[in-house]
Amino acid sequence: MTPGGRACPQPIDDAVLVDYWLALLADAEQDVVEEHLFACDECGDRLRQAVDLAEALRGIARSGMLQVVVDEVFVRQAAASGRRVRQYEAGPGQTVHCTVSVDDDLLFARLAADLSGAARVDLSWCDGRGVERRRLADIPVRGDAGGIVLQESMAFLKGLPSATMIARLLAVDAEGAERVLGEYTFEHTRTIPGPPAQEW
Amino acid sequence: MTVGSSESSDAELVQRIADGDNDAEAEVCRRMAPRIRLYGLRHLRSAAAADDLVQQVLLKTIEALRASRLRDPDKLSPFVLGTCRMTVIDQRRTARRQEHLLGEFGGALVPASHEMPQLDGDRLARCVQALKERDRTVVIMSFYDEKTAAESSRALGLSEANVRVIRHRAIRQLRACMETVA
Repeated sequence: MTPGGRACPQPIDDAVLVDYWLALLADAEQDVVEEHLFACDECGDRLRQAVDLAEALRGIARSGMLQVVVDEVFVRQAAASGRRVRQYEAGPGQTVHCTVSVDDDLLFARLAADLSGAARVDLSWCDGRGVERRRLADIPVRGDAGGIVLQESMAFLKGLPSATMIARLLAVDAEGAERVLGEYTFEHTRTIPGPPAQEW
Repeated sequence: MTVGSSESSDAELVQRIADGDNDAEAEVCRRMAPRIRLYGLRHLRSAAAADDLVQQVLLKTIEALRASRLRDPDKLSPFVLGTCRMTVIDQRRTARRQEHLLGEFGGALVPASHEMPQLDGDRLARCVQALKERDRTVVIMSFYDEKTAAESSRALGLSEANVRVIRHRAIRQLRACMETVA
């Protein structure tokens, strides 16, 4: 409602409010939004709701608790912001010995692969016997990127026992046929004291 | 937008303040403070800095209104917005000087931010984890900070418009998820 209690005749679209908060609007569009917000408390209230969600999402994004494909800019920003970042790199067929400590905030795994020509790429996580345990379907990739950067969940890793984990990058065609782009073995050694929180 | 009949218009308040009405000053502060704070949060990214901005802008505004320096009484909102913009520019200049000093004396002097989101973070995290991989990546990169938000389309090999569509679809899904997840 406006200060007088009337509904806003031209409410700002929710998408525009989110883009305004993320500083993604062009200057001219931003000026128009701000002029509107200084005369319309109804849209201001909706912006506050968007801000609440945005701040909560920012907290989650910075927590390192989610498994998500990111990029090099993200890794650089995370490291520059003072977070304790652990990183591993693997080429196809390589084995990486890895761990995680209590103090680590974020962990990134770089998996190198030729992604050119792959319409869809899945990331399959298998145990040491090659049995698939998790799959990230249709992950976002750029064909010329030469691989992916995966942020692994800290909650998952810090509760993990020592284990062999095999990652497979798979190209999946329209008929569902799969082609292995790269296979990477992670020999994880638990160094955090106490029993693991879950089985792998 | 103008005010309705149940409250004084901005122009009426401006005139009353010029006539020395303290209640009108309080009403301008009540009306403008939430708008200034929202502007401050957006541009200063800190609740404390936004609160400081509210005080500074309201002081400048009341001072100007008491002195009848606002030529068009209908333009109170644009005047307050303009004062916000000028004050933030001044603050950024000051912040740059402070950054220079911090570079000299060390970042350990900067206290950690303790702003807490009001939503249920665990529930929201489950909703984010349930998004499709591409949507989750866009959400995480968009909200991590402004740099990663601006870079996300290039990183994903998508157009900015496409990333925008994905982001807003994901936000709609998150809102629906937050309403349904017990």
